[in-house]
Amino acid sequence: MADEQKPGGSAAPLPPGGEAAGQPAKPSPPKPAAPPPKPLATMAATPWESNLARDLKERFGGQIAETSTYLGQNFIVASPEAAVPILEYLKLEADFDYLVDITAVDWPKRPERFDLVYIVYSFPRNERVRIKTHIPDGYKPETAVGVHLTANWLEREVFDMFGIEFAGHPDMRRILMPDEWQGYPLRKDYSILQQDQRWVQENLGIESGQ
Amino acid sequence: MKAASNATMPDSTFLDSTELVLNMGPQHPSTHGVLRVILKLDGERIMGTDCVIGYLHRGVEKIAENRTYTQFNPYVDRMDYVASVSNGLGYCLAVEKLLNMEAPPRAQVVRVILTELNRIASHLVWLGTHALDIGAITPVFYCFREREEALNIFEKYCGARLTTHAFRIGGLQYETYDGFEQDVKAFCDMFPPKVDEYEELLTGNRIWKGRLTNVGVLTADECKEYGVTGPMLRAAGVKWDLRKAQPYSGYEKYEFEIPIRQNGDTFDRYIVRMQEMRQAVRIIQQAVANIPEGPIMGKVPKVIKPPVGEAYVSIEAPKGELGYYVVSDGSTQPYRVRVRPPSFVNLQALDRMVRGGLVADIVAVIGTLDIVLGEVDR
Amino acid sequence: MSVDKLLRKIFLVDLFQGLAVTFRNQKPKYIVTEQYPAERPQVAERYRGAPRLNNNPDNGETLCIACNLCALACPENLIVVGSERNEQTRRKELTTFTYDLSRCMFCGLCEDACPVDALELTQDFELASYTREGQIWDRQMLEEGPRPTQYKC
Repeated sequence: MADEQKPGGSAAPLPPGGEAAGQPAKPSPPKPAAPPPKPLATMAATPWESNLARDLKERFGGQIAETSTYLGQNFIVASPEAAVPILEYLKLEADFDYLVDITAVDWPKRPERFDLVYIVYSFPRNERVRIKTHIPDGYKPETAVGVHLTANWLEREVFDMFGIEFAGHPDMRRILMPDEWQGYPLRKDYSILQQDQRWVQENLGIESGQ
Repeated sequence: MKAASNATMPDSTFLDSTELVLNMGPQHPSTHGVLRVILKLDGERIMGTDCVIGYLHRGVEKIAENRTYTQFNPYVDRMDYVASVSNGLGYCLAVEKLLNMEAPPRAQVVRVILTELNRIASHLVWLGTHALDIGAITPVFYCFREREEALNIFEKYCGARLTTHAFRIGGLQYETYDGFEQDVKAFCDMFPPKVDEYEELLTGNRIWKGRLTNVGVLTADECKEYGVTGPMLRAAGVKWDLRKAQPYSGYEKYEFEIPIRQNGDTFDRYIVRMQEMRQAVRIIQQAVANIPEGPIMGKVPKVIKPPVGEAYVSIEAPKGELGYYVVSDGSTQPYRVRVRPPSFVNLQALDRMVRGGLVADIVAVIGTLDIVLGEVDR
Repeated sequence: MSVDKLLRKIFLVDLFQGLAVTFRNQKPKYIVTEQYPAERPQVAERYRGAPRLNNNPDNGETLCIACNLCALACPENLIVVGSERNEQTRRKELTTFTYDLSRCMFCGLCEDACPVDALELTQDFELASYTREGQIWDRQMLEEGPRPTQYKC
């Protein structure tokens, strides 16, 4: 599964030169047709060959879409249900006992809108691995709190900023924004100047924060 | 594995019980910023805590998506405002990784010098405010007097004391000023006797030992479970420092030790941070002894447009592992910058550390966590 | 407990050691505090303070060539450079230059971007004003610099 979508097979438009070849020269050059949307460039990742990648592929099979490396940093792309089992496997069998970060990236043009990223580190091996999953809007991934306690606040922040709720989390509420805030600030459709006007007016007594 | 905090706040009719819900509000002299902790107490014993943060949330990650890479550089200093040079270093290293380049050697050495000076400055603030919270009023004056010397060096180098904006993507903007080496060497000569002075004031003191030993114990396994890094992890006995494990910016060339202790209580963290200050002086002395000649800026295009991709780079900030996860979509503005703040993740462990302790211990534990709310909330 | 330790405990030796440090540092003649506003602190040469538009010392004309690089470099977009084209010299000339000091974070990116060293951040740090509008500086204020009211001490 590619990280970003490529428009299926659409090529560049017929070059205007081809059309105009048989036509008499015009006073002004014909305006070229609007260029097609450039295919979203993808990361120049190369496959990641190692024992760990092979073990993961063996254990999880089809649920791991790709294991690659970019700039020396290894990552795997997995399907959403496999994320927590992979974290558990990495913790128990491969010594990846430290969950560094959980975060999300919003790609609004894709059907699977969010990229949920887990970064884990292993003290004995001194290695870091990223686990990325693509989840659509409204999907509730399973919480990683059962595997790593660090995930508690990290998942609360992902919920607060993106609106991704985690099923089974002991305390799923906003952490950085006020509890009654509507809207998820780090989504791409939330403009940087936007604020929850209703909350601002009720709680701060001013018209608007801008 | 149980979840981190299974304390439930009591509902309104609790007057007939001995439990008390106390609010250690956002305005508090000892919470090191705007941190609100809701305590559930039984007399003086703490049954549970609930941290409310977000009072200093400024949306730095959202701002990053609307500025170019160079323009975002000054914003990064404002997160951990006590040690702003480290923040800048982490961000510049992350973008340099995306561009797949390294700063030239001279820039790397000067970066190391400034970052270690910054580590000393940050630990001085920690020591001063922590001692002040415990009740020892003198150290804060002494620490800030030494911090002035370090901040003077920053001011002479880049023009600002606190929000330094010292580094640029690809290297440095400013050449070192005349007298930089003399100033740094003078600082290194002046500083270790001062650390001895602080230790004389505090380490043997029975009140200090009584307030700090066996308070806020976090064992090595608990640290790893909670993702706690930095001096807290080292005080629990794990010999791990990102400067040795995954060196960046030329740290592999310097010889220094990683101080560790075994108990994981507040006193051990105090000893670890004091030793770290001494080791930082050692690194600075090695670095300033031979600063290589050469350019200070690497080959960076005028308009920074990294290829599509992402990178996670983390450094050993004074407070722990500070990580930057930068996603680029090929344009001049980053697509997503995620900052992994050490204080945010360390603060989660507050609940585990103070259960069963006294209210006075909360103050000691918040001090020993060394949090800066600018970093917790971003 | 040994006799030595017991004596140390009773006679508060460790506390007196700390007190000795404090008394050693009592030097009434050596004051670290800067007595502002009686003595203004010496800031470094590279200090990023108030902005100033420099003029050419020979003929008093502005050095600014209205290239707009500072406005593009600013993270807060608070510089507005107005220029008009001079038909005789075929060059752009500066007419208005607006700098919003209330949003400036003194990062120095505009100073770094200026190719002719016209815009410079000086050592002035006394920039307070009573109104928000007073913080938006026009070209004249930028060239002269802030004039804080001098109170006699």
